[in-house]
Amino acid sequence: MKIFKLFKKDTWIRPFLGKYRKSLFFALTLGFMTFFCGGALMFNSGFLISKSAAHPENILLVYVPIVLTRAFGIGRPVFRYLERLTSHNWVLKLTSELRLKLYRVLEKDAVFFKNKYQTGDILGLLSEDIDHIQNLYLRTVFPTVIAWILTVFIVIALGIFSLWFALVMLLLLCVQVILFPLMAILVNGARQEKQKMLKNELYTELTDNILGVSDWIFSQRGKEYLEFHKEIEDKLHHVTRAIKKSNHYRNTGVQLMFGVIAIALLLWSGMQFPGNHGGAANWIAAFVLVIFPLIDAFAPLNDAAQETNIYQDSLKRLNGLSNESSDERKPSESIKQLNAPFVLTVNNLSYHYPDDNKQVLNDLTLSVGSGQKLAILGRSGSGKTTLAKLLRGDLEPSVGSLKLNGIDVSDLGESVSDYIGVIHQAPYLFNTTISNNLRIGNEDATTASLWQVLERVGLKNLVTSLPEGLETVVDEAGLRFSGGERHRLALARILLKNTPIVILDEPTVSLDPLTEQDLIETFMKQLEGKTIIWITHHLQGLSMMDKVIFIEDGKLKIEGSPDELASSNEHYKKLLAIDHGDYVVE
Amino acid sequence: MIDKKLMLLPGIKKILLILTGLALMQAVAIVGQACFLSTAIVNLWSGNGLVSQFKWILLFFLCYAIRHLVNFYREELLDKYAAEQAGNIRGKLLKKIFYLGPIVIQSNGTGNTTTMALEGIDQVEDYLHLIFAKVTTLMIVPWVVLVAIFYFDWESAAFLLGIFPVIIIFMIVLGYAAQSRADRQYASYQMLSNHFVDSLRGIDTLKYFGLSKRYANSIFKTSEKFRKATLNTLKIAILSTFALDFFTTLSIAVVAVFLGLRLIDGHMVLYPALTILILSPEYFLPIRDFSSDYHATLNGKNALGAINKILDVLEPTILPLSIDKWNNSSRLKFSNLNFSYAENKPALKKINLAVSGYKKVGIIGLSGSGKSTLINILSGFLDPNEAVIRFNDEETTSFAQKDWQKQLIYIPQNPYIFKGTLRDNVVFYQPEATMEQVKQAVEVVGLNELVSELPMGLDTQIGEGARALSGGQAQRIALARAFLDKQRKVLLFDEPTAHLDIETEVELKERMLPLMENHLVFFATHRLHWMKEMDLILVMDKGEVVESGTLDELRQSDGAFAELTRSLRRR
Repeated sequence: MKIFKLFKKDTWIRPFLGKYRKSLFFALTLGFMTFFCGGALMFNSGFLISKSAAHPENILLVYVPIVLTRAFGIGRPVFRYLERLTSHNWVLKLTSELRLKLYRVLEKDAVFFKNKYQTGDILGLLSEDIDHIQNLYLRTVFPTVIAWILTVFIVIALGIFSLWFALVMLLLLCVQVILFPLMAILVNGARQEKQKMLKNELYTELTDNILGVSDWIFSQRGKEYLEFHKEIEDKLHHVTRAIKKSNHYRNTGVQLMFGVIAIALLLWSGMQFPGNHGGAANWIAAFVLVIFPLIDAFAPLNDAAQETNIYQDSLKRLNGLSNESSDERKPSESIKQLNAPFVLTVNNLSYHYPDDNKQVLNDLTLSVGSGQKLAILGRSGSGKTTLAKLLRGDLEPSVGSLKLNGIDVSDLGESVSDYIGVIHQAPYLFNTTISNNLRIGNEDATTASLWQVLERVGLKNLVTSLPEGLETVVDEAGLRFSGGERHRLALARILLKNTPIVILDEPTVSLDPLTEQDLIETFMKQLEGKTIIWITHHLQGLSMMDKVIFIEDGKLKIEGSPDELASSNEHYKKLLAIDHGDYVVE
Repeated sequence: MIDKKLMLLPGIKKILLILTGLALMQAVAIVGQACFLSTAIVNLWSGNGLVSQFKWILLFFLCYAIRHLVNFYREELLDKYAAEQAGNIRGKLLKKIFYLGPIVIQSNGTGNTTTMALEGIDQVEDYLHLIFAKVTTLMIVPWVVLVAIFYFDWESAAFLLGIFPVIIIFMIVLGYAAQSRADRQYASYQMLSNHFVDSLRGIDTLKYFGLSKRYANSIFKTSEKFRKATLNTLKIAILSTFALDFFTTLSIAVVAVFLGLRLIDGHMVLYPALTILILSPEYFLPIRDFSSDYHATLNGKNALGAINKILDVLEPTILPLSIDKWNNSSRLKFSNLNFSYAENKPALKKINLAVSGYKKVGIIGLSGSGKSTLINILSGFLDPNEAVIRFNDEETTSFAQKDWQKQLIYIPQNPYIFKGTLRDNVVFYQPEATMEQVKQAVEVVGLNELVSELPMGLDTQIGEGARALSGGQAQRIALARAFLDKQRKVLLFDEPTAHLDIETEVELKERMLPLMENHLVFFATHRLHWMKEMDLILVMDKGEVVESGTLDELRQSDGAFAELTRSLRRR
């Protein structure tokens, strides 16, 4: 019963239950009323017909049942309609809270989140987890609670007539609301676990091989893979069949049990209400017929209970999150406003990740003056990107210090974003209008200033040509724009933010050389006067920089102006030659 | 109500026949169950003893049990049938994907293709299961029940028959109203519902701009807006269910009241009235079942449509040629090769080429010039709209020739690393390679360092979900694959080094060049330094070969190549 253990330690759902108690209560009441009306309709109709068959002298004697029949007939659909609206409303309110909570948890380590979970779309997964919790409520929790309320109501109502039969009924109904659902969880729990595992396996397997499909085709081994896939597929089919078969058995059991309940009601009411053409015997039909509409309330419970196995992962993942997120950055209130000129100084900086002893950066000393253009070159994995994160204070140095105007960057807290801007390889564009995307740089920017920065980054014509101009919605993840255009929009945001220092973290690697060259020229021209720290592994555009440093294996290797290096450094000369196409491999 | 395409499934006629039989059996059981129950109740009501009712109670339970056992059998039957059909469709789909290859995948996206083959087919399975069960039940049960009611009292039967189309009309009208309202709100609705995951994906950007803390408010506000929008839509969307509910329960109430009134008048006796009362919910049950699963079936129907679209893609009918292994005197010539991805937008125009023996052909040009398209055509993944292709003396119109493809090694910008051990990846083209050969290949391409770093050497798991490799390392593995396979004499490179840092590129180049010896090589790139190694250079621009020749010839002519060189060296 993992689900119960999970629920016990849960910090994601339980705290919110108390919050909207009123509407929760309302939703459950309406749910109860729906089934109450359904049962009451048949109860009342059974009585009405029986009573009418006894030929009462006066039609007024059946007047009340007639009115009630209509009332219950209308009541059931109305309550059901309202119940669906209120329960959705409640669940969506909960969703808003959960989303806020998830956002806050993730926000703490926003910058590292993507690195932490390298594979898959973990963010999409988490957001789906919240949708799963919605379903858990709508499809499992609400129906189950409503069925329990109904059980209690039925048992109490019967208890008024006969205590021993109420107890018999309690026993019979408990089989339906407790025994069968419990069985569903227990019997199929392990199978579902296996089913999920196989499904995941199939999914990763297939994605993997579809990505490598051209190799399968060239190697002409495609058939082999299809056979392998079929093997797992058959295993999955086997498990799924077992689950379904046990569901069918159980559901048939549940239904037959209702047959028993109906017979029990018939026998009891036959004894309880003796009569001859009417009298107390008018109640027999009422008590027997009432059970049939209630089957709808009880029968789905066991399948619903089984679904909780599916939600376990979501609960586990969400609860796992809040524990592992790191502490927040130190508060920034005590930091006073920094003033120009801005000087970054790096002193004997070393860094290794907490869970790894390998030195990513080793004893680095560096100073970046105001308005200086510094290029940091290095191979992938040399520690350049780690350095960028340290510069912004998102990581704290293991040894040494990193100061902006004499203050540790990591002490600046959130306000670091006023001094240091970042453009990285894949700038994110939000799925909203262009103007909203730009205003992330400066929320108070006027339309005129938006157009002005668009002109500076060379996108004015493009945006003008769009059907709704600045109010055009950027597609999901900004796919409407090409790589170069996305970088230009990112630059426009930085220009609006107007930070004195800008870090360019390999912004142009995925672009073709001409686009890259144009983009670099735009960057350099528009960021003129600011401190630029440009991380790259290309030589393209380096001649526009004041200073170039090479990082190799975490150490500073070469340092100098591009011109100096080009004339005096052999390694640099060789790289230049390769880049120009003049270099021949011996 | 059942898709015409479904009628083409194998064995469907037999299944439908069995289902119809089951539905009839079930309908009779339902009527029997109602009759026996009401007999027992009426007898008790008339003052007869409980013990004398056991016979009727037993008969009631028997019918009740038959009804549910029929259900059990039907579910089992359909489970098996639907799973079998789904398995067939999946097999066909995968075969198609792994036969047609990148074309299908590119036009649908990797994620979509996978989802279609797994979840999509699961939905189809559900669809097949639901639609046959619900439709046969709906076609039979209500009408048998209605006949029984008619037998007892034609007036109630007439009322119930009359109300049926009213329910259907209301559901359709309200369904359309809900749909059009939902359509109108779709765009903003979609945006609100994606807002959250969009914000999560851009959370680092927000952080960089110092907005992430304040943005939490926006998350909550948007989510609340979404709640309100959802409820507004829901109010209308569930109206059609409401209408169904309303009319069915109200009909039952009306029937009950009328029966009551006529019982008082003495026009009727209790037994038929009670039976009708028990039967009327059964009359409506199938339509309610049908409508509650309607949406689930829609997903399956759409998935089936999408899958059929792929299955209907025609496999090119090209006469297979027998092409000998490429050797020093083999000849390949193609002329007038044209290709376009979409109508009227040519991607390649009138490409001509003739090569023989082991030559290195460089294809240089900027992004969008058509060099990758040309490589894809040479690999047979794309079919030219028009071309005369000659292998030695045999003529064809496409490179999608088994005998050609089995001579190819294709090295793209990001060679794909399968999830598996490093060794499995290296021997992908030569599963029978010996340990000795693998070690040699690893040595030649410079993977030794990686192997010694890995905890389990060659048997370390790499790829998705396991240890990630750098771009340079992935390239080396692709080269090792090429090195191991001595049979394949044609190498296709598509920008293999464009994304690598310059030092890694140099190291790789040193390893690549020896491998290119004694091969026919096509090398597409925008990096100039490779051109020195090529025997023949094609300069591409906007889908055309604008200049071709050896490096010296191109340098002298001062044409397109010289211009490209100048623009790439601008700095």
